[in-house]
Amino acid sequence: MNKEHSKAKKYGMVIDLDKCTGCGACMVACMAENNVPFKKDETNKLDSITWMRVYKLTNGKSFPNTEICYLPRPCMHCEGQHGHSPCVSVCPATATDYSQETGIVSQIYTRCFGCRYCMAACPYHARYFNWWDPVWPEGMEKSLNPKVSVRMRGIVEKCSFCFHRYQSAMEKAYYEERKELEEGEYQTACTQACPADAITFGDLNNPDHAVCQLKKSKNAFRLLERLGTNPKVYYVSTREWVRRSGDNYLRGYEKEGKVKKHRELAGH
Amino acid sequence: MDSALIPKGVRRCSFGQFILFIAIVGAVLLWGVFAMLLCWLKGLNQTNMNDYYGFALWIWADLAVIALGGGAFFSGFLKYIMGKDELKNIINYAVLIGFICYSSALLILAIDIGQPLRGWFIFWHANVHSMLTEVAFCLSCYFAVLTIEYIPLILENRQLDRVPFFHNLSHNMHEVMAVFAATGAFLSFFHQGSLGGVAGVLFGRPFAYREGIFIWPWTFFLFTWSAAACGPCFTIFVTWLTEKITRKKLVKDNVIELLAKISGWMLATYTFAKIIDTWYWAAVTAPSAGFWLPDFYSGNALYGPWILFLEIIICGVIPAFILVTDTGRKNRTTLMTAVILAVIGVCLNRWVMVLQVMAVPVMPFDKWVLYYPSWQEVATTILPVAYGVILIAISYRYLPIFPQEKELNPAD
Amino acid sequence: MKIGRRSFLSFVIGGAAGTALTPLPWKLTDDLSIWTQMWPWTPVPEDGEVSYTNSVCTLCPAGCGISVRKIEDRAVKIEGAEGYPASDGNACILGLSGLQLLYGPTRVRMPLKKENGKWKEISWDEAISQVVNKLSDLRSNDESPAVACISGSDYGTVPRLLRRFMTAYGSPNFMTVPSMQDSYALTLKLMHGVSALAGFDFENSNFVLSFGSGLIEGWGSSVRMFKAKSLWKEKGGKLVQVEQRLSNTAAKADQWVAVNPGTEAVLALGLANVIITQSLYDKAFVENHASGFDAFKKIVTGFSPDKVAKITGVEESAIISLAKAFAGASEPVAVCGRGQGKTPGSLHEFMAVHALNALVGNINKKGGVWAVPEPDYIKWPEPELDEVAQKGLATPRADGAGSEKYPDTKSLLNQFPKAVCAAEESPVKVLFVSGANPCYTLPGTKAVKEAFDKIPFVISFSSFMDETAQAADLILPNHGHLERYQDVPTPAALQNPLTGLAKPVVEPLFNTRHTGDVVIALAKGVGGSVADAFAWDSYEACLEETMGDNWDTLLEKGFVAQAFEPPGWDSAFTTSSGKFEFISQACMAESHQAAPGKIAIEGDNKKFPLILMPYDSIRLANGFIGNTPFLTKTLEDTILKGQDTVVQINPKTAKSRFIFLDDGDYAILSTPKGRVKVRVNLFEGVMPGVVAIPRGLGHTAYDDYLAGKGSNFNELISPVDDPVSGLDAAWGIRAKLTNVPL
Repeated sequence: MNKEHSKAKKYGMVIDLDKCTGCGACMVACMAENNVPFKKDETNKLDSITWMRVYKLTNGKSFPNTEICYLPRPCMHCEGQHGHSPCVSVCPATATDYSQETGIVSQIYTRCFGCRYCMAACPYHARYFNWWDPVWPEGMEKSLNPKVSVRMRGIVEKCSFCFHRYQSAMEKAYYEERKELEEGEYQTACTQACPADAITFGDLNNPDHAVCQLKKSKNAFRLLERLGTNPKVYYVSTREWVRRSGDNYLRGYEKEGKVKKHRELAGH
Repeated sequence: MDSALIPKGVRRCSFGQFILFIAIVGAVLLWGVFAMLLCWLKGLNQTNMNDYYGFALWIWADLAVIALGGGAFFSGFLKYIMGKDELKNIINYAVLIGFICYSSALLILAIDIGQPLRGWFIFWHANVHSMLTEVAFCLSCYFAVLTIEYIPLILENRQLDRVPFFHNLSHNMHEVMAVFAATGAFLSFFHQGSLGGVAGVLFGRPFAYREGIFIWPWTFFLFTWSAAACGPCFTIFVTWLTEKITRKKLVKDNVIELLAKISGWMLATYTFAKIIDTWYWAAVTAPSAGFWLPDFYSGNALYGPWILFLEIIICGVIPAFILVTDTGRKNRTTLMTAVILAVIGVCLNRWVMVLQVMAVPVMPFDKWVLYYPSWQEVATTILPVAYGVILIAISYRYLPIFPQEKELNPAD
Repeated sequence: MKIGRRSFLSFVIGGAAGTALTPLPWKLTDDLSIWTQMWPWTPVPEDGEVSYTNSVCTLCPAGCGISVRKIEDRAVKIEGAEGYPASDGNACILGLSGLQLLYGPTRVRMPLKKENGKWKEISWDEAISQVVNKLSDLRSNDESPAVACISGSDYGTVPRLLRRFMTAYGSPNFMTVPSMQDSYALTLKLMHGVSALAGFDFENSNFVLSFGSGLIEGWGSSVRMFKAKSLWKEKGGKLVQVEQRLSNTAAKADQWVAVNPGTEAVLALGLANVIITQSLYDKAFVENHASGFDAFKKIVTGFSPDKVAKITGVEESAIISLAKAFAGASEPVAVCGRGQGKTPGSLHEFMAVHALNALVGNINKKGGVWAVPEPDYIKWPEPELDEVAQKGLATPRADGAGSEKYPDTKSLLNQFPKAVCAAEESPVKVLFVSGANPCYTLPGTKAVKEAFDKIPFVISFSSFMDETAQAADLILPNHGHLERYQDVPTPAALQNPLTGLAKPVVEPLFNTRHTGDVVIALAKGVGGSVADAFAWDSYEACLEETMGDNWDTLLEKGFVAQAFEPPGWDSAFTTSSGKFEFISQACMAESHQAAPGKIAIEGDNKKFPLILMPYDSIRLANGFIGNTPFLTKTLEDTILKGQDTVVQINPKTAKSRFIFLDDGDYAILSTPKGRVKVRVNLFEGVMPGVVAIPRGLGHTAYDDYLAGKGSNFNELISPVDDPVSGLDAAWGIRAKLTNVPL
């Protein structure tokens, strides 16, 4: 067996913010794929389950120098240090886990008892609590996807990088007596749905995968990198103000090299 | 009517008056129970919590009551381990307050989780990396210890004490109480700390995150320390309140003053440590995450620099100064002011470490989110207070909580 | 036996300890956890074999190829179909959530008849015979023009069956829902002399100048436009957006030109001025293939950059450099049709913009505007007309289209409600509505509803209980969009003719019937020459016959794409001069002499100091299909908050002498046509003085996930007649915002 290919996967995303038009196809594809429930009023965005949420960023300038940029935010599937993502390490019941095999942060719905500590730990607000019982209008439950379990009230859920698609692809590969997946065989619903081709998904460890090259762009950045969350979702933008929106910058602080030194000290 | 149950040689109010009091507080309790049932049956949509406020009033209440209940372990530690024997005159009450605080904390946790029927997964599927697991284990164990400490007190009731079995049990339990107290103190040092760790380990939340030693962030030690400092203050405060309500002196001044003095030194050292912690966090930890101190205290309607000043100076430096000085302790007014400030201080600290953590935006394009609790949250938070008042009232009426009561209030 | 205290206690304690040692508590605990993991009221979707069925989405005119994932006979997910022209592998947000329409609670499940204001179930036979009786009565009274039909589209077999029915029956009143396509068709008619659709070779353009078109907000074939936008980015093409608000298109554009509201045509003429005076135009085209250039030049002389700068608010230098950049690009294209292009707009504006394309000679060329022939696959023989039909067809149309005033316009639905309301007795007695929801989508909704109330018998073919279905007297529900066959003609603005076929993905869920079949049944019921015009046994037979040789390909591949080359300049123009006409004779008529430029909007600017302008969002369906729950969920809280529409205003507009509004505040928004309570969002991306309101909210029909949310812009405005086309030229209305009285 090829040694390189037996390496652990590290699935991740590169999102081109110059291409993203904020159309929301990723959000709906995600909701439809993952049986995400909906309420009659979803305008309170603090209580609206959107595994994939598209944020609208502005450059803060006044008319007509205003600019906006859309930023799709799935779960970052943080690796932290050695898989100690902010949420995984705090879950008291081991209901969320970092897979060393795929790099995916999973959520076991039947294990979670709803303490919401993981939500407090996640700076990206990628985790959502089922404050309500999910209700589908009569007949609409027919559209539910059996490959993804329907969640119940009182537990936390989040983007899984469409893990069930990975499982299906692996199953298929297994029947065909293959051990490895082709790049196109496992793609998330949002990636597939993006009409602007802004989302690229693949194995960040595999140099043959597009993500591996894209993330090396000088315009690539990750959200809140300096927290040490080590996220696996990269963003690309040619606009400087957009790139600077990805993290908190303190004027003059970086120059002194304090951040780097300190982060080394802190072990991040 | 219930005179047979009342300890000998002490005076208690009339049974009717007592029942009226219980009924009034009981009504508040029932209101809380109703809210609790709503939360259990209809789910947590009854609260004003949301995806930004996964932790809110309840977690604050949990952290606060446990800190305040810290009087039990710390006075136990002082009495049994450090040999401060005078404290035997207040230890019963400290234990009772601790028992109330811890049982309340467990109850609130049971309401707070989304799937209470699966709550035991925290033990069954325990994740040893999680501070909350540590909290759950220590909290439950220490609650068991407090129960064991509280049982002999119950058995000292005049009627129960007549049963030879109970009498002997009570006696034997007293004998070994030092062991339990030591265990309790040990457990408490841990879970008070773990509660501090709950916020301190959140490296995704620069407002809460602290560095530390090994797996323990500085907040771990600060929480234990502050609980040890302010828990006894709460015991003193409740004792004082009980004295005011019963219009009797129940504990001698020297006992109170001793406890106050120890608290004072604890508080003084805690405040010093807290100042250093805050300075280091503001100067090093937070900037490395991209935040200046003012970022945490501006841009919103509630959290301003005042909260830092209130917590550290008004409720830290000032009470510590009062309590370490002889004159401050001897004067009832200054003593009680200091004690109340310390209690407010520790509650405020817990609030900040829960609620403000949630409020501060971390992603640069995110916004401050403020929150106010729903009535169901308020009612379920008041519920333990009502429950505590009732338990104290019953215990005070029927059990010899205050060993010095008879001496201080000779029957005429 | 006497039970003492001691033995009692021993019993209790012993019992408890004993029970704890049995498996009982552990078993119960286990059961409890299993129960909490599978609450009986949480649905568990049944698993089964996975299959995919390809079809074409018909929820909007974009016609994207879709692939529907099924588990046994349940459709569980809609995705884009790979390889389908233009949409290739993707679908828009509405199409993706289409299953919520299929399975949703807003479906009309059986024929319904309104009796005393309440819906009553009725059998298909009964329903059809009632309609037939009514039609036969009118016909026998020589009142055939009293039957009218509103169709969502003019193309495709179902609209054509309806139109054929109207013709054979003897009524000229077949109306279609107007859009920018009508204005473009008219532009091509007047300037090129051809009956064609405007297609844009965006994929090959490298400089796109858009006059308010929401190119990535659902304009044209939305998915294709998203792809084109990404392509421009990859290939270095430029997009310049002319708009008052920082729309997504403006935000994604390389340059955003914020012009004063309603001055787009002026800007276009100003650009033309620079191009002509600086001699940047395509001389080969202008000299050999265009006429009226001198007259056009004369008009344009009045639009010097300094004057245009004053009117439009765009700096003179910016106008000049924009004109230079546009004319200097190798494949520039100018495009208009505001927002999603659902409103026709001012014809002069279209012509002014199109003239820019002519100046740079990018007509029927790579990367330019193409005159795409109308779909011509329907080749039915002309119906034989009996006397009644002939007489009926000779009467003037109820909407005034084709009249002396508007000779070139085919349909004027916007004029129809006015005509009905103005007459003492409605000239229309029976009205069919198919693929349209005019009671919601037409501007001046109040008048539309009034007209509908006045028409004695309204028949809706809607699959959903929309506003028009609610206002109807009889609903003959069509199958859902995933339950039926339907041919899909070339999507809007596509440069290559394309025919798609929507196929049933699932068996019809309810007692519905294909509108094509119902039309055939009605024709047969009326009998005589009407029945003779409909020789088909069923709609499917009709469709198969119509598609002829292509039928098998359509079934298999889902589409037929014709290879198409637009005709060269020598044969492209069939105007009287045989050339491209910068100035159309139609616009020279005295009544149309209004200076090209601004189209006035309704309202007094003293009373209404602000201008209300609608905007479109791809996440907010505003056509004949309403938003699905998923779509509404994706709306930002700066569009909809609770049950209130959020309007966007510039912070400068929020603080004036008259008002003081903070972000999120309630306000009263009034126009000459109505007033509503809204919330305001302070947004720097809106021009001061403009109130931007989202289109697509304020439904009164549909389900709780949509009904009652926000306000319908169409209720705050009424149509403004374009002097040439008679189509609605309104792009906004004067308005004011006031604080909510305490």
